Amino acid sequence: MVKLRAKCLLVGDAAVGKSALSHMFHSDGTLFQKNYSMTTGVDLLMKCVHIPDSGDSVELYIMDSAGKQTLVESCEKMWGEVSLLCLVFDLTSEQSFANCSHWMERVRAHCRSLHLPGVLVGNKSDLSTRREVQASVAQEWAESQGLEYHETSAKEKENCDAPLLALARAYHSLYQERRETIQNLGPG
Amino acid sequence: MIDSFLPSLGAKVVVASSSDENHPPENITDGHTNKFWMSTGMFPQEFILRFAEPTNISAVTVDSYNVKHLKIERNTSQNANQFESVTEKEFQQTEGHLQSNAISLNGSSATHLRFIITSGYDHFVSVHRVSVQN
Ligand SMILES: Nc1nc2c(ncn2[C@@H]2O[C@H](COP(=O)(O)OP(=O)(O)O)[C@@H](O)[C@H]2O)c(=O)[nH]1
Ligand SMILES: [Mg+2]
Repeated sequence: MVKLRAKCLLVGDAAVGKSALSHMFHSDGTLFQKNYSMTTGVDLLMKCVHIPDSGDSVELYIMDSAGKQTLVESCEKMWGEVSLLCLVFDLTSEQSFANCSHWMERVRAHCRSLHLPGVLVGNKSDLSTRREVQASVAQEWAESQGLEYHETSAKEKENCDAPLLALARAYHSLYQERRETIQNLGPG
Repeated sequence: MIDSFLPSLGAKVVVASSSDENHPPENITDGHTNKFWMSTGMFPQEFILRFAEPTNISAVTVDSYNVKHLKIERNTSQNANQFESVTEKEFQQTEGHLQSNAISLNGSSATHLRFIITSGYDHFVSVHRVSVQN
């Protein structure tokens, strides 16, 4: 039995639904430090995800950073060391999807060479008549970035657990991979 | 200078910030590098060694993987609290084999040594052995 710990960065443009999603995430979890954001631009909350069929779990410390451009700089200082990425866009806003590549660049620059497992989340799937981003397009871009793609509706509580489970699983596999590598190391 | 592996000094790990039951902190003090303690995510990570009695330590050698920055603190109290800093070191990254770093402690006396890993070259780090020169 292993309990892993990961810091998960929740990013994306303003108003795509990051805070609404993080409310869903912690509705049955622990509210860690809400409204921290007043001064720092970052909310931190914790959610424990069990890995099915393993007895192992991952404690996700989710950082909801403010999407307003003016706050981005101060947010980046708060990111610190990051384990996982949850990149969110609004399915009814082509612009918010286009901006994902900027968010990706920013996060990559911040993490340098560290491999960062992550998910791309298209939110507001309930607004189907206003959809501007097709699933296949988002899926393809996500794959090109090494992200797993999920669609959610924070409003209708649809599919909101899927991205978290995907993140936890990815981190758990990374741990097992690294442990294997270490087991096979030679002496110093 | 005598190179003592920790079992002979009655030293054991009393606190560790991470635990995978297959890779417990006791693996740090068993004198072997094949078994290890592994961190389970995020930094800082730490473990505390307790000696059976106050021990003068000239240096410690740490065998590890992917550790980037290590701080060492000590105390001479019966309890694992109120530490004072002794030294810190940036480790070189290695690939395919362990890092092995000797760190001078200048004969500091200690009942507890606290090892704080403040950063790593990867998400997870491992410590395979700590040995003490006294
Ligand atoms: N229809 C719909 N509206 C949503 C959804 N998620 C969030 N919203 C709305 O979108 C607006 C912005 O959400 P918020 O969580 O503050 O976005 P943030 O700036 O990314 O944190 C709010 O008015 C939310 O009620 C969703 O899944 N469906
Ligand atoms: Mg918000």
